[in-house]
Amino acid sequence: MTLNLCVFTPNRIVWDSEVKEIILSTNSGQIGVLPNHAPIATAVDIGILRIRLNDQWLTMALMGGFARIGNNEITILVNDAEKGSDIDPQEAQQALEIDEMHNLACLFVNVK
Amino acid sequence: MAMAALRREGRRFAPLISPRPITAVRSSPIVPTHEYEGPIGVRHISTQVVRNRMKSVKNIQKITKAMKMVAASKLRAVQTKAENSRGLWQPFTALLGDLPSVDVKKNVVVTISSDKGLCGGINSTSVKISKGIYKLNSGPEKETKYVILGEKAKAQLIRDSKKDIELIITELQKNPLSYTQVSVLADEILKNVEYDALRIVFNKFHSVVSFVPTVSTVLSPEIVERESESGGKLGELDSYEVEGGETKGEILQNLAEFQFSCVMFNAVLENACSEQGARMSAMDSSSRNAGDMLDRLTLTYNRTRQASITTELIEIISGASALEG
Repeated sequence: MTLNLCVFTPNRIVWDSEVKEIILSTNSGQIGVLPNHAPIATAVDIGILRIRLNDQWLTMALMGGFARIGNNEITILVNDAEKGSDIDPQEAQQALEIDEMHNLACLFVNVK
Repeated sequence: MAMAALRREGRRFAPLISPRPITAVRSSPIVPTHEYEGPIGVRHISTQVVRNRMKSVKNIQKITKAMKMVAASKLRAVQTKAENSRGLWQPFTALLGDLPSVDVKKNVVVTISSDKGLCGGINSTSVKISKGIYKLNSGPEKETKYVILGEKAKAQLIRDSKKDIELIITELQKNPLSYTQVSVLADEILKNVEYDALRIVFNKFHSVVSFVPTVSTVLSPEIVERESESGGKLGELDSYEVEGGETKGEILQNLAEFQFSCVMFNAVLENACSEQGARMSAMDSSSRNAGDMLDRLTLTYNRTRQASITTELIEIISGASALEG
């Protein structure tokens, strides 16, 4: 028995295939979903989604949204999602630094 | 107007083709009763006028052909976005169902239309359906309000339903459509309008020649609760254990807002596709009409030209024969 996982964002379908297990991060903590899970509708926080296909774990970053788990069908709707393999650590680090500087600059403006 | 001009030209030729002698035609009393532009005594329309008309019709044909190609390329760009966004609202319909016949007190009709014209009849159909929904839902204790997106619907609805319009938003397509923009819009609407049910009216894009006006219904969380108690599709909602927040009500509220912005995003994209498709077919039929008109004008031009040549020859010949004999 496998789970059918669909991850949608407004711009594209990020994932649509069968998986063995997922770990989803909601605002009440992380939940693991195995086949034949009880039906759940939950809000998804900004966090990491882990997907297991045949003993291999894949990660995906989600920017918040909703998830619905029905009879072995998981539908996750998020504002944005990125596969872990698509994220370039250097780029992400640079973006982080730029954002931090931006935040500092905003602080200055507010103080003035 | 074109037909009237052709008729005038036709009548002008009648005395020339008739078996009457030429001299009689020159001073024929019938000529003044024809309504045509030009001083009395001139027997035929100047080819100049027909040539000017032909030039302007040809220009119109070129412009409409170019507009059709522009619309085709814009359509290709928006179509992929619209198809990708279709997957967004389907889970909501699977979870909550789509209940267009739900009976609520406060309806809000969100009409989505285009800003620019020359796109066929899609805006009129949207407005017609919005007015129909308004009529359907009017009655004691019920009220219906409009939220308008786009200039064309604004122009049509402001005329007779001015007092029922809550919010007007125009120039949506100035920047390329993105989800963040639409979610901000959805937020604005949700903040300013109280509603029990939101009905979004837009044109769904089935293919380049078919745009179907559709209504999507988004219910407010209280109505969802009410309907889920009465069973049906929404009754299954209770079988889902809802997690991820303080109370079920809070989650349903978030869910409703998210659903509204997803459905709006898809609706706006589909309407943009339909607009480009409708503009393509309108401009296509316009260029074809211009081509037909050009053919008719060319025939008229040739006839005029040949008629004037014939009269010149006849004058010369009759003058020459008068000299001889």
